[in-house]
This record gives sequence, structure tokens and C-alpha cells, in this order.
Amino acid sequence: MNPVFPLSRRRFLQQSGLATAVAAAPFILPSGLRGQNAPSKKITVGIVGAGNISDSHFGPLLGDPENVRILAVCDVDKERRDDSAARVNQTYGNQDCTAYGDFRELNRRTDIDTVFVCTPDHWHALVAIDAMRNGKDVYVEKPLTLTIQEGRALVAAARKYNRVAQHGTQHRSMKRFHDVAEFVRNQGLGRLERIDCFIPPNNRHVGATWKPEPVPAGLDWDMWLGPAPWRPYTSLGCHYNFRFISESAYGQVTNWGAHYLDIGQWALDMDGSGPVEVEGRGEFPSSGLFTNATKVDFTVRYANGVPMHCRTRFEGGGTVRFVGERGWLDIARNKMSASSNDLLREMQAPGKKIQLPLSNNHHENFFACVRSRQRPIADVELGHRTTTVCNLGQIGMVLGRKLRWDPVKEEFVGDDMANRLRGRAMRSPWALT
Amino acid sequence: MCAATPSSPAAKAQRNADRKSNAGSTPDPWEACVRLEYGGDRSLAWSVREELLATPREGWPQAEERLLKALALPGGTEAGRAFVCQMLALVGTAKSVPALAALLKDAKFTESARYALDAIPGPEASAALRDGLGAVEGRAKAGMIGSIALRGDTSARYSLAAIKGNPSEPAIVREAATRALEHLANAKA
Repeated sequence: MNPVFPLSRRRFLQQSGLATAVAAAPFILPSGLRGQNAPSKKITVGIVGAGNISDSHFGPLLGDPENVRILAVCDVDKERRDDSAARVNQTYGNQDCTAYGDFRELNRRTDIDTVFVCTPDHWHALVAIDAMRNGKDVYVEKPLTLTIQEGRALVAAARKYNRVAQHGTQHRSMKRFHDVAEFVRNQGLGRLERIDCFIPPNNRHVGATWKPEPVPAGLDWDMWLGPAPWRPYTSLGCHYNFRFISESAYGQVTNWGAHYLDIGQWALDMDGSGPVEVEGRGEFPSSGLFTNATKVDFTVRYANGVPMHCRTRFEGGGTVRFVGERGWLDIARNKMSASSNDLLREMQAPGKKIQLPLSNNHHENFFACVRSRQRPIADVELGHRTTTVCNLGQIGMVLGRKLRWDPVKEEFVGDDMANRLRGRAMRSPWALT
Repeated sequence: MCAATPSSPAAKAQRNADRKSNAGSTPDPWEACVRLEYGGDRSLAWSVREELLATPREGWPQAEERLLKALALPGGTEAGRAFVCQMLALVGTAKSVPALAALLKDAKFTESARYALDAIPGPEASAALRDGLGAVEGRAKAGMIGSIALRGDTSARYSLAAIKGNPSEPAIVREAATRALEHLANAKA
């Protein structure tokens, strides 16, 4: 029995016949019918993946005990899951948080409302789809998925099961990014000429060769790999370093690129679409364990002619710069600059014709939508579109030739090889079905 | 003693001698790639990959031929054959299907062969996957069922229904068949 929800919101809706009504009109429930869905009720959380990225969730979630309750954590590394569960239990002063080694057990708990997917990228789609199939709302870390094919399947699952699904691009909930996107959308820079995204450098170097190592006690290596092709364990390629190996991720293209390219998509009003062309020239290591680009350089171009460049910047960190006929705006997570102070003043002025939705906290926005059944600020459709831009860049760099992209059909035009790179078969027994 | 200038006859002769002495020391990457080892030097395989990625559509048949030759070489390793199958996933056609179908039945290479077949369009690859259902079991069979479903191979419905209803199949396989049938039904709808 759910210690927080004596009767879960879902079960209440099903039993009261409201589920269909909510699906048909996913807005705020009539106030008189809230009952077990009242805002005073805590939302229960399971966290899958207890590594680096989950740290950015544990703090805020544990800091909101009035509204949120973490009931379970899952990781294929016993030490990590036990440590995380202990942290939760210590904070709450009880032993209610359970540690799992298999996400399917967590997803099948009926007392968990939401699942945070914080695994390596090659797991995102499967964990999230399984959670939604089991009635959970999901918060999926960026990039939404590893491949374009997986992204479309994840969005389809969110719609099929009527789940709230937030993409973990939290820049969407930072006012400065909102303001810039809104300003650009309102032609504040005049005609937009280009967007420049800079992302931090990529791989660590671990030598030309590597040696398979015994799998450490407590690590389920088979489950860590999951749908990724089998390879022997090496400590150099596990945990954080997954992002440098293309079977698991596309390096900073999908790590930081997912953040900054996302703001470009937002400013261009491309949340339901994408570019029509990509061309790239990445530098990839020809030996060693890591396979992702050490130097990223690609350009996508939109139907309105605006190009968005994405390049590695070896010093200075990530940023996105909008360049228009009236000047430029350059924005990063912790700083913003412009070609003139006038632009910054105009950007802050109220009363813009086009107003973008404003969220000031990505977690709060997600939980509010879990209660209201509205779509969150970074709904998975736009998450998929942004992740697709990352994928286009990756494929463009891998192939090294100009590619045309049809954002409606989500396929490359006239390039069979590029189309084969939109997805990949998963290792048994996993599949996108 | 004076050093020879770069353009001097002596220097040229030395360079020619160096070339001859090095000739043959680097194996053909298209043959060597199938003997790749996990953790080993992958630079030769990488050069194959780079060449393949730059191959225009009209050059695919020749590239496919070279990959199939590599796949048939004795001494192919697990990592090496997996690599060749990855490359066939990019350029493979019906011509690759017989070799991959044979590899599918070797437990050590079932996964790699399936990855390639999964990506190759056409009824030949679909038939190879359907036929492969009888040659594998357990996890591998579940994976194969997933590939069949994602290819939208509706002609496999009866086989999948039989697997779904077969109590002697492990749960993981029956569940995969159930999902596959749902997927095919949804795709049709």
C-alpha cells in the first residue's frame, strides 16, 4: 500500500471513471473532484540511475519533503544504489526507500507516480517507455534518447499511455533562456542571420588500446550494457565515461548540445519540427576506447535559411549566440552579453506580441503537470526534436557530407546510409516494442 | 660526412629503399579488420569504416563484396566479425543475407548477424530473421522477435502467435512475442 497515497491518483481516476475524461481533455481537474489528487498529496518518485546526473535531482527532491517523496532508487551498481537509498532514508529518517538493481521491479510498483530516468543514454528510451507503460509519468534526462528511432518511439508511448513526460533540458526553466528565445521570436534582433552554439571539449584520452578487466563485485555489467552491443568490461568505459563511446552516447554533441541547440530550436519556433539540412566535419579518434568526436563542427540549416552552427570550444565553456541584423545576444547558464545594452533592455521590456510559456523551476513544472495533466515546459516531443538535431549533427559528422532532412517524415532525403543510422538494433533481449 | 640533401640522388635512393623495405608490412585493412580484438588496435578497422562511409551508393556492391570476403576469412574474432556486421548494417543488401543467416545460427555471432540483418531492407532479410527463430532460444530469440516486429514483418504473426501461446517457451520469449504482436497490430492500425 502506498504510504503517501492511500488511493493512488491513477486508481482514483480509473475507479471514478475520470480517466477517459482526463485523456480527452488533459487540463486541470474540476476543483470539486480533486480528492486524492489534491495538491497537498505528495508525489512519489523512483529514480533509475544513481550516478553523476542523479545528484542534480536528489538534492532538490529531498529538499521538498512536503510535496515529493522518493520511494525507490535503482542502479546496476550495488554500491551506488545502496548509497543513494541510504541518503534518502537518512534524510527522511526512515527506511522506506528501497534499492533495486532492475528498473522493471521499480516500474512495477503501484505506489510510485513518477520515474526519473538518469541512466546512460543507451537506456533512456527503454526505461522511460517501460515506466510509462506501467502508468508512471517520467522525467527523462537529456538527451531524450540515443537514436532518432528511439525518440519517436518514446514520444509515441507518452501519447499512447497519456503520460506527462518532461525532457531534462532545464534551460527551458531558466528565465534568461526564456527571455532570449522570446526576444528572438519577436524579431528583437531583426532578421535572424545565424545561431552559434559552442560546446565544451569532449573526450578524455585513455590511450590507443585498452584491456578488458574483471567485472567488479556488485556491478551487473550485462544490465549496465543493456541494449548496447556487448563488449568486455573496462573501468575506463563504465559510469561517467559512457558518454565518450558511441554505442552509448554521442559525447558533448548530445550532452551539452542538447542544452544549447534546444534554445536555438525554441527561438526558431521549431519545437515540433527541425532543420532541413546538415553538414559536418568532426574529428574522431581512430584508435582507443573512445569513439566520439574530439572536435565537433557541424551546421544545420532551417527552411527559413537560418543556419545553426555547433562547434567545440576548447576554452570558455558552452554558450549559444544569436546573431541578427540588429546585433547579437550571447547566453550561457551563468552569464549573458549582447552587442549593445539597448538590446538587453529591450529584451526585458514587457508586452511582447509573442509570449513563450514561462517556468522558473524544471522540477516544479514537472510536478505541477503531473497534478494538472498538462504538458510540461519541455514535453518529450520537443525533447525528441532537439535530440534529433543532435543526432543530425552526429550523423552529418560521421558521414562528412551534406545531408537533406525531412522533418515531417523524419528521414534523410536520398541517402540510404544516413537513414540506416537513424536507429540501431538492440542487444537481446531488449527491443523498442 | 655530409648529409644528403632531400633532393639528392642518394636521398631518393634511400627513400625508395625504405619504401621497398616497408612494402607489405601493413596488412590489408579489409582483411585485418575481421581479426580485431576487444581493446586492441582498431586503426585498421577504422580505416575500413572511413572508406565505407565515404563510399557513394554506386560503390556499395563492391564494398559489400569486400566485407563478405572478410567475414568468410578463417580466424575471424568475435570483435572482428561484429565490426564487419556493423559495416554490413550500413551497406548490406540481399546479397549479404545468406552469409548473415548462416552466422545467425552460430551462438557466438547471433547478435552481430542480427544487427546487420535488422538494418538490411527487403524480404530476404525478413525471411532470414523468421527462419532464425527456429535456430535460437532464450534471450537471443527474444531479441530476434523484437527485430522482426520493428521491421513490420506481418507475415511473422502466425509464428509469433504460436510462440506466445507455447508454454514451453521461457517467459522472456513469450513476453517478447506478445509485445511484437501488439506492435504489429498498432503499426497496421
